[in-house]
Amino acid sequence: MTSWIVDPALVKQCGELEEHFGERLNERTEFRGEITYLVRPIDWYEVLRFCKETAGLAFDQLDCLLGDHLPERSSAPFEVVAHLVSHTYGRRLRVKTSLAEGEELASVTGLWPSAGFDERETWEMFGIVFAGHPNLRRLLTVEDFEGHPLRKDFPLAGIVGGRVRTDLRGKI
Amino acid sequence: MKDLLQNVRQVVMPLLADAHGPDEAREEAPRPTLEELKARKARSRQPLEVGSEVITVSMGPQHPSMHGVYRAELDLDGEIIVDVRPEVGNLHRGVEKLCEERTYHQIIPITDRLDYIAGFAMNHGYCEAVEKLMDLEVPARGRYIRTIASELCRLSNHILWLGVHIMDLGTQTFFCICFRDREYVLDLLEMLTGARLTHSFARLGGVAKDLPDGFEHRCRKAIEFLPKRVAEYERIIKHNRIYYKRAKNVGIFTSEDCFAWRVTGPALRAAGVPRDLRKDDPYAAYDEVDFEVAVEYNADVYDRFLVRMKEIRESCKIIEQCLDNMPAGPFVARDITRTLPLKSDVMRDSASMIQDFYQVFKGPAVPKGEVYRATEAPKGEMGVYIRSEGAGRPARIRFTTPSFYHGQALPPLVRGEMVSDMVAIFASIDVVLGDCDR
Amino acid sequence: MPVQMERILGFGRSFSFWPLLFGLACCAIEMMALGGSRFDMSRFGMEAMRASPRQADGMIVAGWCSIKMAPRVVRLYEQIPDPKWVLAMGSCAISGNIWDTYNIVQGIDSLLPVDVYVPGCPPRPEALWQGLEMLRDRIKQSKHAYDGLQRIPARDLVAECLPAENGRQS
Repeated sequence: MTSWIVDPALVKQCGELEEHFGERLNERTEFRGEITYLVRPIDWYEVLRFCKETAGLAFDQLDCLLGDHLPERSSAPFEVVAHLVSHTYGRRLRVKTSLAEGEELASVTGLWPSAGFDERETWEMFGIVFAGHPNLRRLLTVEDFEGHPLRKDFPLAGIVGGRVRTDLRGKI
Repeated sequence: MKDLLQNVRQVVMPLLADAHGPDEAREEAPRPTLEELKARKARSRQPLEVGSEVITVSMGPQHPSMHGVYRAELDLDGEIIVDVRPEVGNLHRGVEKLCEERTYHQIIPITDRLDYIAGFAMNHGYCEAVEKLMDLEVPARGRYIRTIASELCRLSNHILWLGVHIMDLGTQTFFCICFRDREYVLDLLEMLTGARLTHSFARLGGVAKDLPDGFEHRCRKAIEFLPKRVAEYERIIKHNRIYYKRAKNVGIFTSEDCFAWRVTGPALRAAGVPRDLRKDDPYAAYDEVDFEVAVEYNADVYDRFLVRMKEIRESCKIIEQCLDNMPAGPFVARDITRTLPLKSDVMRDSASMIQDFYQVFKGPAVPKGEVYRATEAPKGEMGVYIRSEGAGRPARIRFTTPSFYHGQALPPLVRGEMVSDMVAIFASIDVVLGDCDR
Repeated sequence: MPVQMERILGFGRSFSFWPLLFGLACCAIEMMALGGSRFDMSRFGMEAMRASPRQADGMIVAGWCSIKMAPRVVRLYEQIPDPKWVLAMGSCAISGNIWDTYNIVQGIDSLLPVDVYVPGCPPRPEALWQGLEMLRDRIKQSKHAYDGLQRIPARDLVAECLPAENGRQS
């Protein structure tokens, strides 16, 4: 339980990934038995496609795709993280990329249709545009909602709407 | 008179016969291959006629099918569904943003309200993720109690699912029957955790309280008669002609589709993929108990029903084994920087009081890093992603809930099916909107 | 209508109050448990939860109301014919509970007039039953939450948010 070791078979297969992409894989971290690769936004689609289609890796399911906002990192404050699962081998991998404000990322709905809702939510919550997404509109909030809620500079209580009408209390 | 009796016999006898023959015949039938499942799917989907008028109907957020406020805009050609546009978000609370302002201990009651039918299962998944991040070990008794509570939640979820599924198909009987049986499970959960629905029973490092007196006796009684009751319902439904016609070869979702659309849990296991995180990536006491993974091969509504019934039986087995082998010892880890102290100590001991104060205001000591941990919630795989900057509050937390993806998977499932089948299929996929919208 | 008539009608109505089948979130599960066989609400005439608002007598708002759902809740309320009663079940419907976020209405009494508030998270079926008993008392007396109210709060809210147009009272 307390020894989180990376699966050696996964390390071996990731060797193949690293061989193919070489320098384009910016960084690799291992924490609690998970491998994380940081890639550049231009290579996002290609790396994920390689992960899916190579027989040795066979990451056939995209477990989730989420966004993140790190305002302290002013050069590339946004991050998109994809968690991949291989049901054939029972392995997991994480791939992430850092984005600057206004930078677009390729959509992976062509590889895994389940990314559809994920990418819509990421756009809605952070403002990261996914190029090639068939239906990039508001998913969880109202259509005319202004702002991107999960950014760190958006207040939790919101800017408009939803507030209680205390002046009506007691009159009803 | 003789003719009349003959006619009556001709009508009545086929109705009384089993819909599809005995179970053995079904079990020994050859398993369908992927191509055959695809062929069956193509056959059951109606061809769309060119030139007919398409009407848009909004199966709006308020409807009698009890899944919560899910809205589906259907484009219909008569009874056949041409297209579906799901609309979710009617219950969106901003849970992920709310959690960024709370310490790791304070997030536990929030996770309860995600999949509110199986509250403890959500607590458990979340605590497993934080314990992975902190590298905190849960003592053996705590792990066993967590397993028992998780399996009770699985029972509660599946029994409710059965009632709601059959109610969606038109009857009210099973709704009342299943709620009656679910009350026994909720009584056990209330005895253990103090609440019927929103348990908040898991703590970082274990559980909140030990097993109460009399719990074991009551639990054993319940898991003795529940499988028999469920076997009776299974027999009634399985051999029911109407259910067979409505569920067999309806809503086929092959394993390829399930991977593409991130459909997990009983729906994936009904498609022939023996993937159960309790076996493949064990947590709590699942690697110390012996149970089978429920797998079926026809990937339709009927098989999803069979998978869930089998899971109910296996859950009862797991609970019994946990009660038999329950280890002695502490039920929660005691770690000054990372866990809450026992309340009985807080009022007596100044060190515990300081620990309590620190944990409540500052939160536990967590290393910097990110972690993703998925557990087998009753509806599918629930994953929790946490990015921590070393503070007592998470910098980013994401709950990957099964219903989010199941709600998204509705269009490929029902395009070409009839409207009445859509209700059955949607019920079999098991969506709860609190889980979906977070 | 003479008082005696109202009393008789109220007495009759209280024994068959049919709420709208409208569960939003966790409290809906406890509402369904109230309809189950242990906490049987059928013995009091309420098990016929109507799916259509036109046939309902009132609404049990069970769960939190998001901004997206709010216009639909109000529309359903307005579609229920008079006389109607609303029961706010659970802390989320009363005041938004812990969900003090950008998407949740902090209590549906900002949108609709509420008769009875049942606190709890979720309230036990017995607690909901106590709330329904209080509601039945109000039904017997034929007292409604909208008595004396010109417009429901949601209309005022909307009027406030929209810009004032010429010749239109805001």
